[in-house]
Amino acid sequence: MKLEVKESDDIKILVFEGNLDTNTSPDAEATINELIDGGSQKLLIHFGNLNFISSAGLRVLLATAKKLKGTGGNLQICSLNPTVQEVFDISGFGSILKVTSTEEEALSAF
Amino acid sequence: MSDRSQEKPVVLAVDDTPENLDVVKGILTPEYTVRAATSGAMALKIIEKQRPDIVLLDIMMPEMDGYEVCRRIKADEATRDIPVIFLTAMDQTTDEAKGFDLGAADYITKPVNPPILEARVRTHLALKFAMDDLHSAYAVIKKQKDRMQEELNVGRDIQMSMVPVEFPPFPNRDEFDLHAVLDPAREVGGDFYDYFFVKEDEICLVVGDVSGKGVPAALFMAVTKTMLKTSAMDDPSPASIFTRVNDELSADNPASMFVTMFLALVNVRTGEFRYCNAGHNPPYLLHSDRALTCLNERHGPIVGAMPGIVYKEGKGQLAEDDMLYIFTDGVTEAMDTEGNLYSESRLEKFLRGREGSTSRAMAEASLKEIEDYALGAEQADDITILVFRFNRALGGTAGQVLELSVKADLSEIQRVNAAIESFCEDRGLPAGISQKLGIILDELLNNTISYGFTDDGEHEIQVHIEFADNRVIVKVSDDGIPFNPFDQVAPDTTLSIEERGIGGLGVLLIREMTDRQTYQRLSNKNIVTFTVKTEN
Repeated sequence: MKLEVKESDDIKILVFEGNLDTNTSPDAEATINELIDGGSQKLLIHFGNLNFISSAGLRVLLATAKKLKGTGGNLQICSLNPTVQEVFDISGFGSILKVTSTEEEALSAF
Repeated sequence: MSDRSQEKPVVLAVDDTPENLDVVKGILTPEYTVRAATSGAMALKIIEKQRPDIVLLDIMMPEMDGYEVCRRIKADEATRDIPVIFLTAMDQTTDEAKGFDLGAADYITKPVNPPILEARVRTHLALKFAMDDLHSAYAVIKKQKDRMQEELNVGRDIQMSMVPVEFPPFPNRDEFDLHAVLDPAREVGGDFYDYFFVKEDEICLVVGDVSGKGVPAALFMAVTKTMLKTSAMDDPSPASIFTRVNDELSADNPASMFVTMFLALVNVRTGEFRYCNAGHNPPYLLHSDRALTCLNERHGPIVGAMPGIVYKEGKGQLAEDDMLYIFTDGVTEAMDTEGNLYSESRLEKFLRGREGSTSRAMAEASLKEIEDYALGAEQADDITILVFRFNRALGGTAGQVLELSVKADLSEIQRVNAAIESFCEDRGLPAGISQKLGIILDELLNNTISYGFTDDGEHEIQVHIEFADNRVIVKVSDDGIPFNPFDQVAPDTTLSIEERGIGGLGVLLIREMTDRQTYQRLSNKNIVTFTVKTEN
């Protein structure tokens, strides 16, 4: 899996490509934690090129959301494909995390 | 009740003229004990206190006449059986018919002729005692009969509880369609059937008929079923299974019970089957084009009678939509009210007609036709019908199946996912399918690899993916500790971020994203099977 980090003002945009699953979640989590520990409070997770996410990936998202909430930060997620959307629906994550369809909507939510 | 062997029989003489009583006493003593009463009322009192064995009754008495006394004696169930002999005077017009109607046993005219009195008393006493013996004997017999019936009922209940009755028995398996019916007779019994998987893709079908009835037959059936199942689990040959079971059953069989049986091992992927018939009525193979084959080889005698028999077996091949119709002789030997048998020819006609497309429809229609045929006649024997329809061969062409052997290492999941992706791409399946499969396999394999093995040995997980018709069927099996992923508690998805935990999410995703997920523990392996529809 590839994880590219872009910047837009003080928002860190994490563009995922591939699958966020058992094997790739640890590295993704490490990268995210680095950013947060480095002071980033505004994260946009971009799933436009994400193929699928499993519960291992959901774990990372939840941990990230908890962390940022605790420090008054903001986590946005955008551009879910239908399968990923289905996972969010089943798990209830669609209601507890902030999800938008497009990058623009997400950016304007910060 | 007097003990006749010890005491003399008791005669009650009733007459309002004391001289007559003296005469009777004189004649009958000392052979009998004679009690005397001078009135009907007195007589009834005496009878209440000590039952006499016979009553000699004068008819003409003031206040209560002999007829009335007789009536009362016969009206009371406790005294009804005491013989009553009327004593009538020669010069009286006696209504003999009335006396007999009231239940009197005999009439003697006065003055009493001693030999005649003795003879009549002796005769009627003998009759009464014989009647008493009959009643006691009958009571004993009835008790025995009730006990036997109870035992038969218990035996019947045990037998009926031994056959599997949940249908469809294997809802996650669509390679075949299986249904069985057992209509028990009231008295005779002994039919049983069973089916179980011996390997992932091999199912064992058994139909049998145990001799005898009641609890002994039920126990014999239980032992037979258990032995069959145990043998079949690690023996791929029906002949060998029967040979072993026969040796064991006949070794310790003091009641000389036996069983006729038919057993088939069917490979549900290819439709190949092997079978053994031990003295059982031969089953039918009904082809999809309604051609009928009778599997009529006999491979050995009834099971359980004699040890040392070596059974043979036969082989067959089921094609798409073929049906096996296995049954007991209660079917062909069902009789109508005139005693005509349902017979093989009617059965064959029915089968060729192929009324039902599903096994259930077929079995039920067959049973109904037999019951209609036999309507009004008592059902003499159990009727058992097992229908097994082979739907289609799976994995016939190599290209439809993906088999992977996965080491117990998390990094292997990548390899599995890549294989799934190209498998789906090759078949032109939409991206959503391979994504779903990727997620599900990630969850399952993560679980198994992380928690399934408690030793340091090498373990492998088998993943079998098959594309058929409108769905993908996936089977994941491992030899780890018994673990059913679907037993886990579902998480509460309404909790907020702070409250939310991560447990149980994997299983929730698996459940919601698949149709028909099942877990089996078979031959020391965990087997999880599920399907994902490719069209809506």
